[in-house]
Amino acid sequence: MTPRIAACSCRTALGNAEATCDALLDGQRALRPLPVQGAAGGDAVPLACIGGRALDESAPPEWLPILDGLAAEIPNGPWGHARHPVFLTSSNFGVGSLYAYQRTRERAHVAYGTPYQVGEILRGRFGWGPDLTLCSHACVSAHLGLLAAERRLRAGTADRALVFSFDFISPFVTGGFHALKILNGEFPAPYADRPTGAIGLGDGAAFAVLDQSPSGPALRCQSLHNEMHHFTANRPDGGGFRAGLEPLRAESAGRRLWLKGHGTGTLEAGRLEAQTLAELFPQAPLISWKGSLGHTLGSCGLVELALALAAVRRGRIPATVGTSGPCFSESVALAPLRASDFDGFILASNAFGGAHAAALVCHD
Amino acid sequence: MIERCVIAAAAEDPGLEAPAATRERLKDYFPRGATRRMTQLGLLIGSVLRDQPPRESDVVIYASQFAENQALEEYLASFPTPSPTLFQTSIHPSAVQQVLIARQQPVREVFPLTGGHDLGTRMIELAFVTPGDRVVICGGEERGTWLREVGSASEETFAFALSLSANPAGAMGVLRERAGVESAPWSLKDLWQRVRDRQNGRTARFELEWR
Repeated sequence: MTPRIAACSCRTALGNAEATCDALLDGQRALRPLPVQGAAGGDAVPLACIGGRALDESAPPEWLPILDGLAAEIPNGPWGHARHPVFLTSSNFGVGSLYAYQRTRERAHVAYGTPYQVGEILRGRFGWGPDLTLCSHACVSAHLGLLAAERRLRAGTADRALVFSFDFISPFVTGGFHALKILNGEFPAPYADRPTGAIGLGDGAAFAVLDQSPSGPALRCQSLHNEMHHFTANRPDGGGFRAGLEPLRAESAGRRLWLKGHGTGTLEAGRLEAQTLAELFPQAPLISWKGSLGHTLGSCGLVELALALAAVRRGRIPATVGTSGPCFSESVALAPLRASDFDGFILASNAFGGAHAAALVCHD
Repeated sequence: MIERCVIAAAAEDPGLEAPAATRERLKDYFPRGATRRMTQLGLLIGSVLRDQPPRESDVVIYASQFAENQALEEYLASFPTPSPTLFQTSIHPSAVQQVLIARQQPVREVFPLTGGHDLGTRMIELAFVTPGDRVVICGGEERGTWLREVGSASEETFAFALSLSANPAGAMGVLRERAGVESAPWSLKDLWQRVRDRQNGRTARFELEWR
């Protein structure tokens, strides 16, 4: 059984999947310099909020209608009921509302503060049944939803599975990454060999429906690995990246692949990722879109899956945005690719704790 | 009928024990100096995993509804000069990562779940569709302070771990799937209580029986 991606869509600060693809092909950057703590001010850092949404949460959150629009694109089905499980994934869920409560002491924010509360709100809003699993593993959260969904299909306990993922940035998370000094005044240049590393942060939301259709984009292989070396650093020998990607090699043999890397703009992780990918998949060009969209945190795996599939449908794959070289690897693609030159791609993401997640998606 | 054998189980029930007291009580379970920045939940997860340490090939399913309440509260209170350490510590699934990083133990698959009234059942459900020789289920909560007063943090502190295997050798219990029978789902606390008390029980589609 090979799980197929029957439907997939997203929202980014540049619009839906098609609009985002077009903007990325045009080299547009969604990131803008904004105060790191929203209304409380602070340094200007690169952020990308959907629809000009304010960084500070309102009550109800401004992002709920954005999710309504995305959910309207989900194919009809008895989601959350028998044999149609839903996997809701996020790094932050509604924790920005707890920051808002701490700052304002307005109790209205509290109703959106925990993952369970947000899950129940979305369940009611979208008419999902009780078969709802919430996954949260920082920036590989969406990948866990995809793998858990695949497991249900393979076990024969589901006919179709819905993976829904979102992360909307708030001062909670921008303040945290700024404190770690990787969100700073610089704009991200993924995989660029330069003196200072920098990331941007952005809103993202996406869904995918997995089923066992005979055709359509196939999830040929998924892999996880957790280094457990350090909270915010990878093993310096790159062994964690290798362990995360190695299981995809056999299934990748003979395929013409491109690589959608994690590529946030940090230096050490970017170097290790680019070098490991070049070593394991030497013919495959490497791309990151986080220089434009920012890092959409736990949603990034699914957002970038939706963008990759849209790019394949449109025939052109946007290049790495925000980087002009020199790069950590010659494989970094600085010009768009022709989709017909490839028959699949690898989707890779990383997270705190040295968490690695990767998926091989084929067009067969 | 699908079964998973319970080959190890442990629970922590510290009641209202203060985090500092938990740290002092459990510090010998960790490498020297490792506990200084660990959360109370991290310490408790380390305790319940002490006799069933995850191996690289194991799948770890970790769950918490509220996660690192105390780190979250302190991180929020640290604005406008947010603490980088508290930021990373407050993020799910920090507790199990604290333990595995302290022990430098890589693990191929870690599935951190969250949720509410059915979180215990969701853990079991995922374990049943997970391939592999051994699946380690663990989870817990730590009692909050000001977030607890508005319902955004746990009222109680607890932790548990269960190791499941298809191999019945040395099994101390069994989890089995029960097709067609509806029972109420288990929360994380429900599952913890059944592990702590070695109490048999039924939840939606599953049955736990101790030997």
